[in-house]
Amino acid sequence: MTRNKPNIWKYSLSAVKGIYDAYAVSMINFLRKPVTEEYPEYKRPLPERSRGRIILTRDPDGDERCVACYLCSAVCPTSCISMESAEREEDGRRFAIWFRINFARCIYCGQCEEACPTLAIQLTPDYEFCQYEVLDFVYEKEDLLVDHGGRHPDYNFYRHAGVTEKGDKGAHPDEEEPVNLKSNMP
Amino acid sequence: MWFLGFVILLIKLAAVLGALVLLAVYLVWIERRLLAKFETRLGPNRAGWHGALQPFADGVKILLKEDLIPEGADRFIFMMAPAVVATSALLLFVVVPFGEGFTLWGRRVPMLFTDLNVGLLYVVAISTVAVYGVVLAGWSSNSLYSLLGGIRGAAQMISYELSLGLSLAPVVMMAGSFSLVDIVDAQAAYPFILVQPVGFLIFLVSTMAEAHRLPFDIPEAENELMGGYHTEYSGMRFGLFFVGEYVNMLVLGSLAAVFFLGGWRGPLLPGVVWFVLKVLIVPFLLIWSRAALPRPRYDQLMAFGWKCLIPVALVNIIATGGLMLLFG
Amino acid sequence: MPRLIIDNQKIEVPEGTKVIDAAEQLGIMIPRFCYHSALGAVGACRLCAVKFLEGPVQGIEMSCMTDARDDMVVSTDDPEARAFRRFIIECLMMNHPHDCPVCDEGGHCLLQDETVSGGHDIRRYKGKKRTFRDQYIGPFVQHEMNRCIHCYLCVRFYQEFTGYRDLAAYQIGYRVYYGRFEPGQLESPFSGNLIDICPTGVFTDKPARYRGRRWNMERSPSVCIHCSLGCNTVANARYREMLRQEARLSESVNGHFICDRGRFGFGYANLPDRPRRAEIGKNEASWTEAVRALANRLTISDGASEMKKTAVLGSARSSLETQAALAILAGSAGWPMPAYFADPHQSSVCRTVVRRLDEGLAVSMKEIERADWILAVGADPINEAPMLALAMRQAVRNGGKAGVIDPRPVFLPFDFTHLPIPREQMEFCLNHLIHSGIARQEADDAGEAVAGFYAQLPEEAEFEEAVREGISTLAEGLKQSEHPVLICGTDIVPLSTPDLAADHAHLLNRIKNTCGLFYILPGADAFGAAMLEASAESAFEDLLKAIEDGEITALMVVENDLIGAYPNRKRLETALDRLELLIVLDYLSTPTVDRADFFLPTTTVFETGSCFINQEGRLQYAEQVHAVGAPIRQLRGRSHPPREHRDEVPGGDPRPAWRAVADLVRALDLDEIRLYTSGPESWLTGSKGPFRFFQEKIYPPREGRILPAESEVAPFKSSIKKEAKKPEAGTLDILFVDRTFGAEALSALSEPIRRAEPAAAAFIHPKDASELGLSDGDSAILRFEEGDLEIPVALNNDMARGLLVIPRKPDLEWQTAGARFPRIARNRIAGVRKETE
Ligand code: SF4
Ligand code: SF4
Ligand code: SF4
Ligand code: SF4
Ligand code: FES
Repeated sequence: MTRNKPNIWKYSLSAVKGIYDAYAVSMINFLRKPVTEEYPEYKRPLPERSRGRIILTRDPDGDERCVACYLCSAVCPTSCISMESAEREEDGRRFAIWFRINFARCIYCGQCEEACPTLAIQLTPDYEFCQYEVLDFVYEKEDLLVDHGGRHPDYNFYRHAGVTEKGDKGAHPDEEEPVNLKSNMP
Repeated sequence: MWFLGFVILLIKLAAVLGALVLLAVYLVWIERRLLAKFETRLGPNRAGWHGALQPFADGVKILLKEDLIPEGADRFIFMMAPAVVATSALLLFVVVPFGEGFTLWGRRVPMLFTDLNVGLLYVVAISTVAVYGVVLAGWSSNSLYSLLGGIRGAAQMISYELSLGLSLAPVVMMAGSFSLVDIVDAQAAYPFILVQPVGFLIFLVSTMAEAHRLPFDIPEAENELMGGYHTEYSGMRFGLFFVGEYVNMLVLGSLAAVFFLGGWRGPLLPGVVWFVLKVLIVPFLLIWSRAALPRPRYDQLMAFGWKCLIPVALVNIIATGGLMLLFG
Repeated sequence: MPRLIIDNQKIEVPEGTKVIDAAEQLGIMIPRFCYHSALGAVGACRLCAVKFLEGPVQGIEMSCMTDARDDMVVSTDDPEARAFRRFIIECLMMNHPHDCPVCDEGGHCLLQDETVSGGHDIRRYKGKKRTFRDQYIGPFVQHEMNRCIHCYLCVRFYQEFTGYRDLAAYQIGYRVYYGRFEPGQLESPFSGNLIDICPTGVFTDKPARYRGRRWNMERSPSVCIHCSLGCNTVANARYREMLRQEARLSESVNGHFICDRGRFGFGYANLPDRPRRAEIGKNEASWTEAVRALANRLTISDGASEMKKTAVLGSARSSLETQAALAILAGSAGWPMPAYFADPHQSSVCRTVVRRLDEGLAVSMKEIERADWILAVGADPINEAPMLALAMRQAVRNGGKAGVIDPRPVFLPFDFTHLPIPREQMEFCLNHLIHSGIARQEADDAGEAVAGFYAQLPEEAEFEEAVREGISTLAEGLKQSEHPVLICGTDIVPLSTPDLAADHAHLLNRIKNTCGLFYILPGADAFGAAMLEASAESAFEDLLKAIEDGEITALMVVENDLIGAYPNRKRLETALDRLELLIVLDYLSTPTVDRADFFLPTTTVFETGSCFINQEGRLQYAEQVHAVGAPIRQLRGRSHPPREHRDEVPGGDPRPAWRAVADLVRALDLDEIRLYTSGPESWLTGSKGPFRFFQEKIYPPREGRILPAESEVAPFKSSIKKEAKKPEAGTLDILFVDRTFGAEALSALSEPIRRAEPAAAAFIHPKDASELGLSDGDSAILRFEEGDLEIPVALNNDMARGLLVIPRKPDLEWQTAGARFPRIARNRIAGVRKETE
């Protein structure tokens, strides 16, 4: 490989120009008005999908949406979600007996929302919840659970998945009657 | 009578030291605000009027921090190193004339501490001492980052010391004296910058390297050495390094004023005011450079010093000598 | 040896290898659902399709159904094959309920993996989904039929491999249903394997239902300690709670599967009443306090170096580390050497076993699967070592013959000949059977010793017709056999039987060139315990005698429920009353712990890495699974974990028993400092440690048998009686026996096992029952001298006469009988009619 010997004059000239440009650009910026928006005097209105404090929403029937499937905690890059699933005594529904997010660790990446198959976990535009005590950043399920459906008020996981939580199998709109294993009728 | 002289000296000392440190501390705030301006931000503006109390907030914070000494450090040297840096910067100021002088109680009070006839050599000599602070800090911390920072600092400061000295040679040639007072007096007609633009540029670049300011902050290089020689320092000891660095900026500013900008001389305004204004030019340039330029690689930095600055400075000396022979 | 090319790689495989396996040997995993190396291929799922480019077969074919042959060129990632597999996945997913978020299989589900890797991501089928109703199939397995992909693995495993019939495929076409005809508990004690084997979420682990995903678990290779086989498992824990166990492939021990006792028996480790604090008297104390106080009590006077003479009783369920540490403690303190079996019967039979077993005779379960003639003496495999029954079944499936000489009603899931002989006549029956199966000429050809032994065997025997027939069938089988195996139980056999079995094994070995000997022992590390007892010549009977005589006044019981295990309650109570000091170390809450003057809590196998030697002398290592501490669930119930920072783990006091011993050695200032200055490797392998018996002295050990090449005991020394012992008239023998569920001490504490265990019942022959005026379901009251024992009876034809078989359940006060093999006069049995509505 032959390497072109740089032309020393061209090289110097471009170096000087580079340095000159740098100084010029910074001076132009120096003379411009700063773009800083001063918080808390001015609070910028945030778009609906901006990612802040996390909530656990409810389905249209008012039941907790989260089925404690562990997908959010698995995908979370900072491992800040922990929970334990269990069977609800009344109806056998899978739910989280506790669900904890450590907001001191959360980086508001939104992966959890992305992963959630039931649309339970959602990020909200609220970001003003600073605390002095690190333990106060650890939110339990009681603190996370809200009484609405968030951005997706209509979805209900149990109307689509073929598990029954109440009632018989085959009751969902896209399902057939359960097979009767003791009948030979097709 | 000697007693009065002594009192005056003490007052001068206190005033200059106070002003210098205060100015240095404020320079931090000024730098942060200016840097913010260069980046179209606002900078610290919350503490006091436009953030004017920020330096005190910082000072309180830094004083309250725990003073950590790493395990395995050479404790004595570790503790002394910041002082070396700060003191050497302050010592430089002894020979700088910062005003015209006035008469008090019938005594002529010169606006400088002492007029050494080898003032310029003193400046060059003392500024070299600062390198000990850096090397010792780096070595005594017992940390690889610090050690690397210290070594880089030593290499860089020694290299640029040369071009600094060489860039001043034409000034001495033109003033015909090593005394800083004489040099200022020699610029009564015009400041040397007009006839020595190249010398001034070399001086400025060497200054940046001396003060290890960005883009020449190779010994600290936060994103590769985590702070270099002062990685392990905390609290007020770290603060001393900081103060030292900013005092250094001021001192270098005043030297630039003395050597190239005509010292305290200027029309209309009193000498001290002119002096302060001129002194602030160099820090401003340094801050501007920090906003504008990226950090070069270590080898590029050395190559630039040895292969570019020194030859140019030498050529500058020869050219100056030649011209002086022709016209002078 | 066919040579073929798969994905441009050449390979040579043995004749009969399937292409799917050949590819696996090359590291190419062809997707599959219905193929399982233990169950073979049926080609039900069609997922393993590959393209055969050249050779005897051409085009798309199932790699699991095609034998590898010469000149085959196979492409697994041919676009056509890929498209085919993707289409199969799409079809299999057509009726899938899309409920992965609430399915426990999610995270380790083969169907998920294949769907994702097959590239099927968007549902195109818009029709309705077929649905099924689920069934209750017992406390172990949860059923959710909608998720099924009809690979038939479950039914093939359940019916073909384990030999039970109550789980089957019903219906036809796309309506095929896998379940029971009526809901109810699955009969097979291997049903838990359905969880592992079903590639989807139809069968999931019920006790661990909704407790966490695979990725949440702390998983470690472990070893089952619920019987002496030592099946390999993977233990799963989460938040310091053991949640689930899976089978771990072990070629020589358990193969791919484990039994339900092993899989669900871990519940003892999570019990809320597990003692977690040291106790002095009945007062809780910190570990260090308790050890220091104990050391003070053990030193006779302050500052004196003389120590109170203490008897030490270890246990067959403890790890080898603990057993060895106890021996070192007793040795250096100048105490009598420790015993490990509370039950004197177990102690002496186990010692015989370790003396007799050697590399020439021992066989693994894998080798049992290949045997063509198996005779079990005094063994009830399903109840004493369940996986053994499965190994025997595989032998029978491969054409082998099996027989069992045992007075109990023995059930095995395959065809076998049961000889229900009374306990005293078992040896006679065995001798006679072997005599009938071997021709005199063969014995004479095999040398003098063999011929001499053979000559002593009884030629004639008077048995009932059915038994005689059985004997001649088995003898016929033995004549044809090339790989016979003798299995010898230790629980109910007379003391001399293990010796006799070994002699017969030698006999067959000399004649057939190969004969396996397989003992069943009482306890996960009974082998190690017997080895240490045998080398020190110690026995609990001697220690007990010394306690009764007042020579010893302190007793240290380590991980052993002495009160539950000692067969004579009255004698034991009197001895315990004479003690000045009873020290107990355990991880369970037992009656013995309740009596302790000093108590130190120890860890379970899941909380410490530890060694166990199984009944064939195989040394295995169970790794630590989770940290010591109370399960998080138990701290705040069904609520979030505590919100506080603590220095120590709540309930984190327990330490491995060997560490407790080490701490004690240190507090007593004994000179065995290596016990507490270094890990088990130094003192297990040291000159007094049990590893001194082994060739390879590394720790943690590699898996392998540690038997001597040849036993020191010369064969053919058993004394042989020509006459069968006649049972005493007017009395009934009582046998206290193990059951699959509910009699083994640890698993009996596990919640799901308790739900699965049948009600306690004494088996009795109908003729005996009618003589006593009892019918099925009535209660019998046994009037022993020490007290009464009431138990319902169950009639069973398939057992010896003159016998009551009673499960050794922990809550049954069987020790009132006062002996290991009690005999009761018929007139001391009273009947209570079953109450009928
Ligand atoms: S936003 Fe990101 S970091 Fe925060 S909980 Fe969700 S996945 Fe974790
Ligand atoms: S992903 Fe959604 S449903 Fe699953 S555990 Fe998280 S919040 Fe609950
Ligand atoms: S239940 Fe499971 S193992 Fe059985 S056929 Fe269905 S998917 Fe296969
Ligand atoms: S056969 Fe024995 S060792 Fe194997 S899993 Fe069952 S109880 Fe455990
Ligand atoms: S694995 Fe070959 S057809 Fe199922």
